[in-house]
Amino acid sequence: MSCSEWEHDIASERESAELQDHMRVCANCRQFDRELRANVAAMRSVAIDERAFDMVRRRVLAEIQAGNRRATWRMWPVAAAASIAFLCGAVLWPRFQNPAPPALVAFSKAPTKIEWSAKPVRPVPVSLAARREPLVVKMLTNDPNVIIIWLVDQKGD
Amino acid sequence: MADFRLTAEDAGQSAGLIARAQAGDLAAFEEIMRLHERQVLSTALRMLANLQDAQDAAQETFLRLYKSLSKISDAQEIRPWLYRVTVNICNDEHRARRRRQTGPLSGPEPVSPALDPEATWHESERSRLVEMALKTLPQKERAAVVLRDVQGLSTREVARILGTAEVTVRSQISVARGKLKKFTDRYLRKHL
Repeated sequence: MSCSEWEHDIASERESAELQDHMRVCANCRQFDRELRANVAAMRSVAIDERAFDMVRRRVLAEIQAGNRRATWRMWPVAAAASIAFLCGAVLWPRFQNPAPPALVAFSKAPTKIEWSAKPVRPVPVSLAARREPLVVKMLTNDPNVIIIWLVDQKGD
Repeated sequence: MADFRLTAEDAGQSAGLIARAQAGDLAAFEEIMRLHERQVLSTALRMLANLQDAQDAAQETFLRLYKSLSKISDAQEIRPWLYRVTVNICNDEHRARRRRQTGPLSGPEPVSPALDPEATWHESERSRLVEMALKTLPQKERAAVVLRDVQGLSTREVARILGTAEVTVRSQISVARGKLKKFTDRYLRKHL
């Protein structure tokens, strides 16, 4: 195996007796291993100021509290609607449970009295002239040229 | 190697905090954030290489955690869940950056515990180089190498978080480490 193949094994953390044997005799691969470890150590040496953590915590808590406040404000219309619905229900429910009896209809006016006159009405006499004239009844038909004329004499013929 | 499973004591403490946070206790949620903020922010910082963007990603991760608290029943789930969400948010940010076509952004200066000035300079230089090299990696390789090498998770845990096979993760890490080394070698040969 060449050193580049061993280096691949070192980077992949493949631990084997053969690799250990090679590392003991190969200065290049030992150097490669040392440098990889130095890189790992360098990556881990990240130093973060404590204020950075404080800032994250403060921002997260502020955001949560603001979210809670927004949620509370969003609940107000719902709470108001629920209260109104409850009040309406409280007022209307007893009426549905015990409906009021129908209102009495009172007559403010007594029914009109029909009075019978004591004296019978006498028939009005018809004049003789009117009696002699025949009664003419004109009957119109659908055809404007045809008119039915009906003469009624005194006897009613 | 770090294990993302919590100890029994930590799990018990976390379970209590999760239950309190689920009931609306913000102090309990703040405590959960304190327990996991280093994990979330350092992952985001290595993924995005910019502190401000990393803070935004961490904020979004914790807000998603708050909204998803009811779905987390086991305290052991919380760490892998946070890693998964952090990586996803960072990937989204990468895609957004590509759309915006912005140039590389500067990250924080790494701090070295070494006292020898020359060693300090070398380590600090290597940190800067590695940070630059990380930016050149494809997202999947970067996520794998950050979770494996920065967070110290096992290959199996990384595979579980990224939703891929262990063999894929092993290959991504190997390729990424090779690229990082080539990048640093090239730079060091040229400038030192």
